Amino acid sequence: MTVLTTPASAVRLARQGRPIGEHIFRITLLSSLIIALGFLAMLLIYVVQEGWPRLDSTLWESMPSIRRPETAGVQSGIFGTLWIIGLTALMALPTGVLAAVYLEEYADKTKWYNKLIELNISNLAAVPSIVYGILGLGIIARWLDFGFTVMTGAITVSLLVLPIVIISAREAIRAVPPSIREGSLALGATQWQTIYRQVLPSAIPGIATGSILALSRAIGEAAPFLMLGAATLVRFNPEGVWSSFTVLPLQIYSFISQSREEFHILASAAIVVLLAILLLMNSVAIWLRNRFQKRW
Amino acid sequence: MPNLAVRGTEAPKNAEALDPVFTVSGLSVFYGDYEAVRGVDMNIGNREITAMIGPSGCGKSTVLRCFNRMNDLIPGARAVGKIAYHGEDLYGAHVDPIEVRRRIGMVFQKPNPFPKSIYDNIAYGPRVNGMKGKMDDVVEEALTKAALWDEVKDKIKQNALSLSGGQQQRLCIARAIAVKPEVILMDEPCSALDPIATTKIEDLMQELTREYTIVIVTHNMQQAARVSDRTAFFTAEVDEAGVRHGRLVEFDETSRIFTNPSDKRTEDYITGRFG
Repeated sequence: MTVLTTPASAVRLARQGRPIGEHIFRITLLSSLIIALGFLAMLLIYVVQEGWPRLDSTLWESMPSIRRPETAGVQSGIFGTLWIIGLTALMALPTGVLAAVYLEEYADKTKWYNKLIELNISNLAAVPSIVYGILGLGIIARWLDFGFTVMTGAITVSLLVLPIVIISAREAIRAVPPSIREGSLALGATQWQTIYRQVLPSAIPGIATGSILALSRAIGEAAPFLMLGAATLVRFNPEGVWSSFTVLPLQIYSFISQSREEFHILASAAIVVLLAILLLMNSVAIWLRNRFQKRW
Repeated sequence: MPNLAVRGTEAPKNAEALDPVFTVSGLSVFYGDYEAVRGVDMNIGNREITAMIGPSGCGKSTVLRCFNRMNDLIPGARAVGKIAYHGEDLYGAHVDPIEVRRRIGMVFQKPNPFPKSIYDNIAYGPRVNGMKGKMDDVVEEALTKAALWDEVKDKIKQNALSLSGGQQQRLCIARAIAVKPEVILMDEPCSALDPIATTKIEDLMQELTREYTIVIVTHNMQQAARVSDRTAFFTAEVDEAGVRHGRLVEFDETSRIFTNPSDKRTEDYITGRFG
């Protein structure tokens, strides 16, 4: 006699109850996220609250002062920051992208000198910014005698962000499928035509995103400018690359160092401006990434 | 030219193509110190379809990529022996690989259209080669020859990636045709396509032999039997030192390879006893 029913032990799809470790793991992940976001939110709320009384048009219409906090602004700092970032972008982005093209498309990765270059770029990205300040002071400001000008600041910051630009551009170039290069070369295109007309256009969204994030980092830097012996009280906007200047982080630093409470409020307001510029740049980066992202 | 004394194959009889486009003699391909393919001799007939079949890792794609010097792009790869293109050594010192690739087009295993419009995909080759003439006509002619024009003429400015896999592959064939090559190399062009798209490509290949010489690598023996005039059977063999090399076993007219092969290994492979 044969029994044609499935034995009860064979099918067990009912929920057995998740192991406790599974829950603990989920909670740990979630709380890590909450800690990160929570601190960011606290920071933002604190700064906005603190700086609220001074978040008015005087802030960006007036020049800084260490005597009259009620009418002092940070206009020279805003313009200084924009000058530095603009000039840095002009210098660091083309250099960084071309260096990345060399490393990805031309360099023979088995050669020792190319390995050395790669290793050093990764190391350079980790060098503290104050070290670049020393370099800027010693070589650019003093030895080349560029003084404390927009040019000196921009060159110093360019050197600072260059490794980051190179690394992110390399990643974007590497993400372009090799089949695109093969397809182009098989049609009789030269290597440069392939890079210029296929690889770079496909990599541009990635390069742009990485570059903006690198520049965002530069915007927040105070250390290299401190090292350069920057003036903290500049009552005029830069008029050119050979003009002296200040930048927002440095301005904030100088306000904080004052003893009067009004300056601390002013500093918080300036921090809000700095954060706003940063968030704006990051949003552009995210927009670019979503808008032009390629799917193969 | 180094003398390659070791040859595992007897020269096939009646396999000599008249008026060969390529004459391959004693070709070995190295990746660094590793000899991937050893001692290949074969002629590629003009306006014929030559199929290269064999199990994975037998070196058929490697040999194919020597015909337009795509192997140059792999660091450490080098070809020893001789490949003559209309009598001229393809690997001669004065030969420009860019010019070689312009005359000898290639279609790859996975369709690889550029992330641009259909039009720009076709126009790319002529543009980088500095061709003169009305680009619209060039594009239409290439797409027509690749039997794709009727399907895409209304959406020529659309992104090529919106086409189906089979259409993308025909676009890649059209793209190769647009630079007016003499030879089209195809590296398993149908392996990523469904049977209907495969049939279309096979019909297209027959059509193209009026003007072009085609060399195709395929895993699909039926495909080789259906489309090709001559078939080269490759296999991988282990030499005395225990190293695997790709070898050309037999090269003959397709009908003979599939009905009356002269080598036992070919027979085993095509009857499905091996590979």
